[in-house]
Amino acid sequence: MKIGVLIMEGPYQHQAVDSAYHFAKAALARGHEIAGIFLYTDGVNNANKFIRPPGERNVNGMLDELGALGIPVIACSACARFRGLQKDMVSANIRASGLGSLAEFITAADRFVTFGD
Amino acid sequence: MKKVAIVMRKAPYGSVYSAEGYRSIMGLGVFEMDVAVAFVDDGVYVLLKGQNPAKLDMKPLGDGFPMLSDFDVKQFYVHAESLAERGLTADDLVMGVEVLDSAGISAALAGCDVVLPF
Repeated sequence: MKIGVLIMEGPYQHQAVDSAYHFAKAALARGHEIAGIFLYTDGVNNANKFIRPPGERNVNGMLDELGALGIPVIACSACARFRGLQKDMVSANIRASGLGSLAEFITAADRFVTFGD
Repeated sequence: MKKVAIVMRKAPYGSVYSAEGYRSIMGLGVFEMDVAVAFVDDGVYVLLKGQNPAKLDMKPLGDGFPMLSDFDVKQFYVHAESLAERGLTADDLVMGVEVLDSAGISAALAGCDVVLPF
């Protein structure tokens, strides 16, 4: 099954990104495909490559790892502007793009799952 | 064409969710999606008449919804119990909507391919 994922909350304040990561890993392990992961509203902050939590899991690294597997991980470009997140701050396997990417993932996916508040 | 429900759950001000829900309706609408909007819990306040957030230096969110029909967004569902709990009726809203009980909202959402909660 193709699954689309939406993340609506930022790093560490909320569990959404952690849950989405573990969900995606579990889905891949079961042989499902992740159509794409869209980072929306504060979720775009998870794309920041300068996230370096002392002694804790790195949520940017987790998402970037999924991107390195070939899963499109897209941060909403308008939300990034609202939050001062610039292109050169985004980690290697995440891209900034518009709501068209969200529409694309919705279209491609058999199921669509939101992780948020 | 996929049918997408945007669910407005939160008050129009105090957090970004409702404003972003509105932007997503516009954003997804242009990409050939059949978009429906449901208003539940404090989300019913999004459609309240007479919003004036000028002191917050923000624009009235409710004003944008009646214009969505120009973008082919024409399905608006409001949760009856959420209205009643807040002492509101359909007359307090900026536009004509379909007022549905819990079972009606559930059925409307079940009829959509994707539900995006805001």
